[in-house]
Amino acid sequence: MSTLFLGILIAMIWGAAGFWLRQHTKLTVVEVSALLALTAGLILPRIFVDGGFFALVCTAVSYAAMCSDERMCSYGEMLVVSIFCALILYFGQNILVGVGGRLGTSAAVAVLLLVLIKSLFRLGSAKVNVES
Amino acid sequence: MWHHILICLPILGAILDVAGVLSSQMGRVLFLVVFIAGLIGAIRHASFKFSPDLVRSAVLSLIGAVLTFILSTKLELGVVVASALVGLVGAQVFKGRDQLVLYLGVFVGMGSVLSFTSLIVAGLLGGLFFELTGESWVGVGGRLGTLAAASVLVVLAAIGGV
Repeated sequence: MSTLFLGILIAMIWGAAGFWLRQHTKLTVVEVSALLALTAGLILPRIFVDGGFFALVCTAVSYAAMCSDERMCSYGEMLVVSIFCALILYFGQNILVGVGGRLGTSAAVAVLLLVLIKSLFRLGSAKVNVES
Repeated sequence: MWHHILICLPILGAILDVAGVLSSQMGRVLFLVVFIAGLIGAIRHASFKFSPDLVRSAVLSLIGAVLTFILSTKLELGVVVASALVGLVGAQVFKGRDQLVLYLGVFVGMGSVLSFTSLIVAGLLGGLFFELTGESWVGVGGRLGTLAAASVLVVLAAIGGV
């Protein structure tokens, strides 16, 4: 379980870094994603016993960071998506094993979950406004 | 609506995998039937047209897949570092959507379940999927990886290697 919590924490750090890079540099989405994945792949396996898994989580988070500004517009949303990525990869370790694109699919599912939650909140607040 | 099916294939694959039927004949046939329905839907969609971009994207995706596969398996860099290196170098060489298509190919090359020949087919298919799903999940991070997973799963289902 400590692997999961540490994975979530590291994912959030990488997610925040990705969002910062998107907002404050002129790097393309591919460059931002590849930079994040490269640093994760080089650093984390050398520091942690479960570093290989953490590197995969951060790589997935780097793909989620490729979102357009319309889909993801704040650090808070990026952090939520990062947490979703870590949870999906931790609990879905035995799904689609060895299939290229698995990390990207996990990232996309995490982003779509955020979009769904945002839509539900908007729908809920719209109903409250109509009733009041 | 039918043209969105292609990009949803990995989710179907994941559901079948969780249910334990992805490797079965029934699971593979179901997956391929849904793929063909999605393919027809995408080709018949109003926004689709046959253009040289189809070939260009297929080739770029193939290059990304093969380079990543070679770096990760032959040079033993690992999939994460290999994919990041190809993505970074590719971003310096190509601009705009070409960068994205090459990066999609990179994701195809990160897999470990394909032989080199299958990887070539999946790489080409990935680029075609990029063109066929132009209006699906626009702006969603992970879209390229999802398309890569779709192409890999289609090849695996077709050759019976899921």
